[in-house]
Amino acid sequence: MTGKYHLITYAVAFIIILALNFLLPRMMPGDPLTAIYGDEALIAMTPELQEHLVERFALDEPLWQQFGAYLGALVSFDLGYSYYYNASVFSVIIGSLPWTLLVVGTSLVLSTLLGIILGIESGWRRGSKTDRALLTGLMGLNGFPDFFLGLVLLIVFGVVLGVAPLSGAVTPYAGLTGFALFLDVLRHMALPVAALTLAHLAGSYLLTRNTMITVLKAPFMLTARAKGLKPGSIKYRHAGRNSMLPVLTMTGIWLGRLVTGALFVELVFAYPGVGQLTYQALLSRDYPVIQGVFLMVAVSVLAVNFIVDMIYPHLDPRVRHAY
Amino acid sequence: MKKLLPAIALIVLAVSLLAIPACGGKAQPGVYTIADETGDWGFPSPYAHYSRGPGYVRMQFIFETLVWKDADGFVPQLAREWTYNEEENAYTFTLQEDARWHDGVAFTADDVVFTFNYTKEHPYQWVDNSIVAAAEALDDYTVKLTLSRSYAPFFQDVAGAQPIIPEHIWADITFPEEFLGPEAVIGTGPYTLADYSKEHGTYLYKANENYYLGDPAVAEIRFIKMAEEMNPAAIEDGSVNSASAPAEVAADIEAAGFSVITSPPSRNGKLTINHTKEPLSSVDFRRALAYAIDREALVQIVFRGHATAGSPGMMPPTSPWYNPSTPRYAYDPDEAARLLAGLGYTLEGGRFVKNGEPLELSLIAAATYRDLGQFVAQQLTDFGIAIDFQTLEAKTVDSKVGAWDFDLSIYGHGGLFEPSILTRTIIGEGFNSARYEADPELTALLNAQLTEMDAARRKAMVFDIQELYAADMPALTLYYPTSYWAHDGSLPLYYTADGIAIGVPIPLNRMCFVR
Repeated sequence: MTGKYHLITYAVAFIIILALNFLLPRMMPGDPLTAIYGDEALIAMTPELQEHLVERFALDEPLWQQFGAYLGALVSFDLGYSYYYNASVFSVIIGSLPWTLLVVGTSLVLSTLLGIILGIESGWRRGSKTDRALLTGLMGLNGFPDFFLGLVLLIVFGVVLGVAPLSGAVTPYAGLTGFALFLDVLRHMALPVAALTLAHLAGSYLLTRNTMITVLKAPFMLTARAKGLKPGSIKYRHAGRNSMLPVLTMTGIWLGRLVTGALFVELVFAYPGVGQLTYQALLSRDYPVIQGVFLMVAVSVLAVNFIVDMIYPHLDPRVRHAY
Repeated sequence: MKKLLPAIALIVLAVSLLAIPACGGKAQPGVYTIADETGDWGFPSPYAHYSRGPGYVRMQFIFETLVWKDADGFVPQLAREWTYNEEENAYTFTLQEDARWHDGVAFTADDVVFTFNYTKEHPYQWVDNSIVAAAEALDDYTVKLTLSRSYAPFFQDVAGAQPIIPEHIWADITFPEEFLGPEAVIGTGPYTLADYSKEHGTYLYKANENYYLGDPAVAEIRFIKMAEEMNPAAIEDGSVNSASAPAEVAADIEAAGFSVITSPPSRNGKLTINHTKEPLSSVDFRRALAYAIDREALVQIVFRGHATAGSPGMMPPTSPWYNPSTPRYAYDPDEAARLLAGLGYTLEGGRFVKNGEPLELSLIAAATYRDLGQFVAQQLTDFGIAIDFQTLEAKTVDSKVGAWDFDLSIYGHGGLFEPSILTRTIIGEGFNSARYEADPELTALLNAQLTEMDAARRKAMVFDIQELYAADMPALTLYYPTSYWAHDGSLPLYYTADGIAIGVPIPLNRMCFVR
């Protein structure tokens, strides 16, 4: 029953996203053709091309038929055509996706894991010097936007100390291969990942710490202590595991924030990726690419939430009875 | 916490191990590295580079034009010399006999004829191919281009902009935009393409040792992607030879012993006025607006001095086309008030009022012009005109202006090197033009200057246009932004006269890279 309920909720959310993505450009003032294809299309547009484009998305048909044509195109991964890149939007996005996945994925894992560990340690020692130092420090970090942390890291490690590269994802034309290339990629991603991780660490840390404090008061903790278990085992296996649950739920939601955060961080580090792509698309008013990225981010947030929802009952069997 | 410490120590160690071998960014002999914020400007073939100046710049290292420009003006390139026949309205070009394509094949008149015929079917994005009616080879090294109409900027817009492509490679290509192989970048230029990475935004060029006009000055040119803020640090540590410099740090880079060159004005920002509706349809009212806005203060406050105050004639004061007797409309709120009084407005409590109605105007602009818009709104409000200033999404502004649904707006455009911009942005169609045809004399001059092939007569026309345009004031040029380029001085970079090709204001002319 719960599975079905979930699927329906997600399907409704998905349709709303698609409908928004379809309607917004068509609601913009002026010619929908430019709103859908961007300024660049005006330069490249011949009468034949214009006719072809109108036909492709059925722009001369009523709105519901246009929506049908739009969905039909989506099924075959046709997200539109970018006249700036002279390539399909799908291929443009796919080209820059791996680098964003690398940086965002790594920092999502790192910030979640570090946040959970620090949160458990902090909650366990509530009121101690360590707890207060962590709390103040991370609350402070939380106040800085990710691109600012990125700039500070870049200035300190890149410019002043000269130990980190100033830009890019690899050293261009250094002729590196194999392990040297792997190290080079790691070196280039260290600072962007650090910036994103530091900026998002506080969220998972605070959530874990709060839950930890509540969990520590639970009766089963007393039982664990009474059984004479080792403190490490009590801390991580009994209290810690139970404190992780809300963090996992939030991870799905944070993904969206991380991807938009990556936009600024990628700009600061001139790191290739979807953020750079979005920025360039905004500058050149390449609407098809902007919409494609919007759809991709929305769908991936939805997908990650769905996966978390599916995993959740396995981590905490109680939620199966929550409906 | 005891367990945590070793873990943290391990992370710190790992990060420092990764970081230590990073100091490999020093300059290498024979390699010239240029940093760029955007990186990817498309595959550098004529049909695949993105339709922006930096895209053309990446292509012009490989492909050449009939004529070219250096810092002072037109110079021979694939054409050694040329003559113009007024009766036939045709140019005859004598071509270089020792130019060769990168694959060793000789360059001949047939390639030029092929290029102009090929672009009839597959227009090159930057050149209006309808101007050349016929191209014919008189012999292997002489080519005659007959124009379809008199076209004054023929060198700037066609002969000096159209890249010549090899017939033996392109003859069978039906989809030039999708032709991306190594053969698609065989040109006659001083450099060949060794690598292009779209995702990393990097380009690698190697010297063409058989170049016919001299020796390539460096063995390799590299374009790398880097945030503009990092350019000064990269130039100072030697990992980058040349890059644009943010205005705020240009002076510091110069003080550190590097060369900083300043772009001649090629862009402007202007106040667009809806001259079709009351009260803005009155010339005196528009002139009053011009007197009420202090453009010198605007340059100092909004651009911290990194701009030039606008001339109401649109052409910048540094341009050879600039008419020094164009009315200046220097800041004079008293004169502005006198003009408004002549139109029946009276000043009541700091506000101009007519028939009991206080004077109110709206000002719309894209978010890029927020600071500028606030300054203009403040100046006009202080003067006595209430301004409702709103920033909107850029496309919304364009369509409102296009539909005349506005009072005042702010808009900027480039192309100020060549006076054809006057025609395009005064009587042209579309939101980016003033669409002002109320002055028949101005309209006639704007059309005539495009077909006047005599340079002196054209210049006289352009001078008259500036005076009339400034007097009619259908739009007011507010400023010309200044941009800076920093380099280590190892190559003599310069800004090309009237910009590269049709007017790209980037100091990376391929001839700077040839000895």
